[in-house]
Amino acid sequence: MIVTALVLGPILIGLLLYLLPARAQNVAKPVAAAVGGLAFVSAALNPGAPDAMLRWLSRPFTASFHFGFGPISYWIVLLLALTTFSAALAIGGSRSRDIAAQLLVLQGAMSGVFLAKDVLLFALFWDLMLIPVYLVMLQTSTHPRAAWKYLIYNLVGGLALLLATAGFGMVTGTTDVIGAHLPGTIGTAWGLWIFSGFAFAFLVKTPVFPFHTWMPDTYAELPAPMVALVSAVQSKAGLYGFLVIALPFLAPEMLQARTLVFTLGLIALVYGALAALAERDAKRVVAYSSLSHLGLIVLAVFSGSTLAFTGAVVYIVAHGLFSAALFLTLGAVEQREETRELGRLGGLGRRNPKLAGALMLGALAALGLPGLAGFSGEILILTGLFEAGFVWPALIALFAVILASAYFLRLFQGIMNGPEVPDLPERCDMNWLEGLAIAPLVAGFVLLGVNPGPVVAFAAHAARLTPPAALTSTTSSAAEKTRVVGYH
Amino acid sequence: MSSDIISYPLISYPGPADYAALLPAFVVALAPLPILFVDLFARGNATARRAVAVGIAIVCLLAAGWLEYLQYPHDYSAFGGAFIQGGFSIVFSEIVIIATIATLMLSLGVGRTDQVAGTTSLVLWSATGAMLMAGASNLMTVFLGLELLSLALYCLCAISARQTAREAALKYLILSSVASGFLLYGSALLFGATGSVAFAALAIAPVTPLLALGAGLFLVGLAFKLSLVPFHVWTPDVYEGAPLPVTAFMSVVTKAGTLAVLARFAYAALPAERASALLVPLWVIVALSMLVGNLGALAQTDMKRLLAYSGIAQVGYIVAAFAGQTAYGLRYALLYLAGYTFMNLGAFAVVALMSKDGDAVVGIGRFAGLAHRRPWLAAAMTFFLIGLAGLPPTIGFTGKILILAADVGAGYAWLAGVLILGTAISAYVYFKIVRAMFVRVDLAHVRDERSTNVLPWIAVGVCAAATFVLGIVPLTPSNVLPLVK
Repeated sequence: MIVTALVLGPILIGLLLYLLPARAQNVAKPVAAAVGGLAFVSAALNPGAPDAMLRWLSRPFTASFHFGFGPISYWIVLLLALTTFSAALAIGGSRSRDIAAQLLVLQGAMSGVFLAKDVLLFALFWDLMLIPVYLVMLQTSTHPRAAWKYLIYNLVGGLALLLATAGFGMVTGTTDVIGAHLPGTIGTAWGLWIFSGFAFAFLVKTPVFPFHTWMPDTYAELPAPMVALVSAVQSKAGLYGFLVIALPFLAPEMLQARTLVFTLGLIALVYGALAALAERDAKRVVAYSSLSHLGLIVLAVFSGSTLAFTGAVVYIVAHGLFSAALFLTLGAVEQREETRELGRLGGLGRRNPKLAGALMLGALAALGLPGLAGFSGEILILTGLFEAGFVWPALIALFAVILASAYFLRLFQGIMNGPEVPDLPERCDMNWLEGLAIAPLVAGFVLLGVNPGPVVAFAAHAARLTPPAALTSTTSSAAEKTRVVGYH
Repeated sequence: MSSDIISYPLISYPGPADYAALLPAFVVALAPLPILFVDLFARGNATARRAVAVGIAIVCLLAAGWLEYLQYPHDYSAFGGAFIQGGFSIVFSEIVIIATIATLMLSLGVGRTDQVAGTTSLVLWSATGAMLMAGASNLMTVFLGLELLSLALYCLCAISARQTAREAALKYLILSSVASGFLLYGSALLFGATGSVAFAALAIAPVTPLLALGAGLFLVGLAFKLSLVPFHVWTPDVYEGAPLPVTAFMSVVTKAGTLAVLARFAYAALPAERASALLVPLWVIVALSMLVGNLGALAQTDMKRLLAYSGIAQVGYIVAAFAGQTAYGLRYALLYLAGYTFMNLGAFAVVALMSKDGDAVVGIGRFAGLAHRRPWLAAAMTFFLIGLAGLPPTIGFTGKILILAADVGAGYAWLAGVLILGTAISAYVYFKIVRAMFVRVDLAHVRDERSTNVLPWIAVGVCAAATFVLGIVPLTPSNVLPLVK
């Protein structure tokens, strides 16, 4: 019941917001924040909520409207609800009603992706995620090409996912498999094709080099609340897909593709860091830093190390928290100064200590300062990579992590330090509403940094269900025997 | 050879059950009599005259739909197997009936008042043809239904004050006649090869070069009518020139009727063990349609032409489900056809609502800023376009995944791949319109015409609801096979 409400509630309320009369449009923002807050509280209080299930298809393969918490998805859904709450509070401007409505639709669609226990349902919400982001971009973006780029890249990815899902369903006879104790793999001639479809969709959404070019444009053009949600949660959909679909059912194929994906992940790691170092647009700096950080998680997912797997889950949540905080802070800066150009900004820190503090905290978490959430994830992943014998990838990743300090300090200095730029508009420090928006995210990544225990425990549980070690040996003959194969 | 003819007698004695099977088609075919008769006496009030004609037609169509429903799901082979009424034909007929009702709703304000009774009658006769095709299971009935459908449509295309309408009608007449020629020649060769016109007899005949040639020509004729590539060139011109309700009608009813024949032919009339080989050219044509239809739509700026090209691709998706002649493929083709009917008619209804007389030339430019002028209309159009592009939560998504599954399961994964490729191209086509609707424009420079006819709103509402509900509850008829007896 609760899990279904987490998916359908935001979508319905979001659509209902369109019915608001013109005079009452400022209700939209508090409503969106309330939905986010309510979702967070109800998910936090009911970690053991039962699954909701309704049969959808019985032929040619079975599929269900099956929602439920999983050990990984539970934390991502909490992150999603918290980010929605924060993002909704940061909504501003003339189109606030439309943005609030689409924010809620996006929240519901993403809840659907992460709560789906059925691959076909996962694919349905995966495609549905496209629409709110595209519509908001159409209405707010000044560069129509950015919206096209977002749509075409992600739709092609979604279609590959759809084809792979059809193949998956035909081979296994059911798509209602996510989180199920199905210790098998596809293991037929179709396996590599199906995996390719899934992997393409997941890598485009994450994104990973060379499918990333839509990402900086999208992040730069979307309004801050929307981009906070997209960067915090939507970018995790692909990684989540690898963890819950590819790892349990397509491990041999993942192993075959490992060298390729490792290479792409490493390129993303280094290229993202270097691009962030050179970028002049503040939002694009954070966008490229995301490319770099997500590349690290891709390495962790494909490494086959339980430690790195745990680290990946921690880092997924951590990255969501600090990237949302960073984008919301940058949104607040942009709203005041009407520019994101690092060259035109400067010296804000003196008059805006709270804003500077928020940006500093976010940047420190992102560059992996011990005690904040980014560190917990990174250290687990890097140790896991070393442990699994990937010394060189780990060293390259470490180098990129060090670069993170450089580009985040550059970002902070460019905006907050240095001489004040005289022709910028009037300055006022962060108000209480903006503070309320960012505070829960900051609290989240501080708590997670001090004690990542709860997330680690859930991730360890997930790792027991689907051992990442399946990736380390080519002969998983025990699994071969129990696999579900054959055409239906 | 002569003994074959004797073993399949063409003449049997029809009883009441045979006529009952045809009763829904009779109801639709005879509805024009009261329409034309009442019209003789209702000379005064123009609105009343239109309302009466359309009203009688819709009532008769609803009655026919109800009669079809009563006969579901029993199979009955009427008139010695010339017409088979069963789950398959009933589903097709219901689709035809729904599409015809929607067409009549769109047509209420279109054309001259003194022609309304005539055009309504022609629409009904055309629909009768499609209903005959839905149950046709011998070559003669197929041709009878097809010509009834087409002859009425030639006239419907021509009835319009616009110059382009006559051009469209002539083009349609000539090219459609060529197609009928192919179909007829193919039928003659099939008869020559087997000595029978019944599909059931074709299925058990030995494959000879003559039979293969006949089947090929027959398929070419059907491909013409379905406007599959490379037999599609007439479609955009005819769609553009014909009055809008007629275009909407053609885009669904002609295709539904012809698809019924194609399905029956592919599944039941070809010798089972050789059908896969004989139908290979069809899959190539289908693959081409999915690609060329969407590529052609990219360049279009007129809504009718755009929907014509998109229809070419959409029919390609439907026929792709027949690959391998699997039973579930047929069911998903029917499901997607129903979905296409609702999404496409919904889109046409939106276009109709955007011009004063319900039949103006609507270019994509007219959609500029629609979301800010008429949000409900824009929301509906966005929903239909999302569905046509294969995104959730619509039947476009669910139907497509089922067709993909059918193709993959039947061993035609390459066709599924082409379908995905075509869909990717189509995203640009459909989202071009979405983009035009949502981008901010200076509304002072946009022509904002509104239709005086409110009936299309009902069509929009019903189509949107059906598009959504079918996507969540993809009901497929379970008893579509066997197709011949």
